Amino acid sequence: MATADEIMEALEDFKEQCNNNKRLRRMQRDWSKVLHYEAADTGDTFTMTVVEGETTRNEMGKHGTPDVVIETDSETMCDMFWGDANPTQKYLKGEIRVKGSQEDVMRIDAITAVIWPEV
Amino acid sequence: MSVIDDILSETDPEKIRKETEFNYREYVNPFALRMFKNASLDIVEGKREGASVWDVSGEKYIDCVTGAGIFNVGRHNTEIVADLKKALDVYDMGGWISILRERGLLAGKLAEITPGNLKYSLFCCGGGEAVEVAVKLARGHTGRRDIICMENGYHGVTGFALPATGRDVYKTPFAPLAPGYLHVPFNNIEAVKEAVTEDTAAVLLEPVQGEGGIIPADEDYLRSLREVCDQNEILLIFDEVQTGFGRTGKMFCAEHSGVVPDIMVLAKSLSGGIYPISCAVFTEDISDFLMTHPFVIINSFGGTSLACLVALATIEYIEKNDLPARAHNMGERFMAGLNIIREKYPDLVVDVRGKGLMLGMEFLDDSIGPRMVYQLRKNGVITIYTFNNPRIIRIMPTLVITEQEVDVVLDALERSLRQIMIQEERFEEGRQK
Repeated sequence: MATADEIMEALEDFKEQCNNNKRLRRMQRDWSKVLHYEAADTGDTFTMTVVEGETTRNEMGKHGTPDVVIETDSETMCDMFWGDANPTQKYLKGEIRVKGSQEDVMRIDAITAVIWPEV
Repeated sequence: MSVIDDILSETDPEKIRKETEFNYREYVNPFALRMFKNASLDIVEGKREGASVWDVSGEKYIDCVTGAGIFNVGRHNTEIVADLKKALDVYDMGGWISILRERGLLAGKLAEITPGNLKYSLFCCGGGEAVEVAVKLARGHTGRRDIICMENGYHGVTGFALPATGRDVYKTPFAPLAPGYLHVPFNNIEAVKEAVTEDTAAVLLEPVQGEGGIIPADEDYLRSLREVCDQNEILLIFDEVQTGFGRTGKMFCAEHSGVVPDIMVLAKSLSGGIYPISCAVFTEDISDFLMTHPFVIINSFGGTSLACLVALATIEYIEKNDLPARAHNMGERFMAGLNIIREKYPDLVVDVRGKGLMLGMEFLDDSIGPRMVYQLRKNGVITIYTFNNPRIIRIMPTLVITEQEVDVVLDALERSLRQIMIQEERFEEGRQK
């Protein structure tokens, strides 16, 4: 089980990786979304705000109206942001639940593919 | 040894898979490959026969995608392949500026089998191109601009077809698009009436929305559409790219309602899954536009000698084997089984619907469609969710599917749902802890 601080740390690392990747910023420039993350086993929640491909902030708790809601256990959530798990594989196996459009699921997978192509 | 000898003589499945994945990763589309692998759809096609396709490693799958209706006559139909081989000994594609006997024969056959007074054909290669021809004919014939299309409709992604497709995700990156396309809710005659203006050239729709989620148009709606079009001198265009050539239990889906469109768009299964061809079939009235503009709609590879011969052989096969009746019968068997499954899994399955062998299963939420695709592959069936509505998976097998194969697909559907049910229970247990 991962703590809220550990997940936040993983989120911040993910944010840095995304924002420092020029290729990713260009690819995602038409993607502005509010994403809510829910750790099913601990009840911790997080909000990630993406504006034109740039992750502008990560916050604890739920803020704003989400375009995408991602729910999984806290360990898997950390693995996802550390690049230790393929989120689409987990989603298709029912270990991650996503409420949102299939296009957004593919965008999230594209981010993972660019940062961690081997995952 | 020629390059083709070289390719065909390679039998090591591992080598073929590695080489193919490498080439996709390096030269085709690495992200598409990743998506295929993630979704467990990374099947490198080897043998193809009847209702099935084999991975190069020898794994057999029943194909319930069939390229969204390309392979009505079965995968690698050997009778049509034999005909093409004979044709290849005599013909090349034929010159597009020449007069081709085969093109005339196919146009005549299409005039014979399409409903009502549909008569002339203009040929292209793909469905989107044929939709473009339909739009051009409608604008050229009426002198008006606007095309009324349906929300969530799908008509391809090329120039004049893309704006007709009723979902922004396909269009937004490519703006500005050709103007003059209005989208209204499907199966809503009042919405069409409200959208009609003096500048309306045509109403364009699929008689069963394919990518929209296998949604059949109500027959009364189609009859009312015909009336509205007649009253306002608007053309009615049916996109039968997915529904044509027996798929829905009639040769053309239009026959269910008895409504005859002014233009019918045909593609996919006209090719026999062997040689690309598509066309727009239209009435004599509309052909007047081509009298004054005979060479404004042209296509180098549309209606070649070889494509037309394959199309003629395909139609002959469909008629000889009465594939529309077969689609109807197998569709009924499917529907009976699907209804039993729906009753067994009411928490996951919301609806099952369709016509003939154009069937869809709708789930409670968007995630179940992609997850079912993943599970079904593991259970020996290839399918895909509908692109405009991922909570629906399509079941569109070849029309030569047997009763036993229908039962195999039904069994795979049930096993896949059971596996998803177990995943859901596990997730809920994790949440409660």
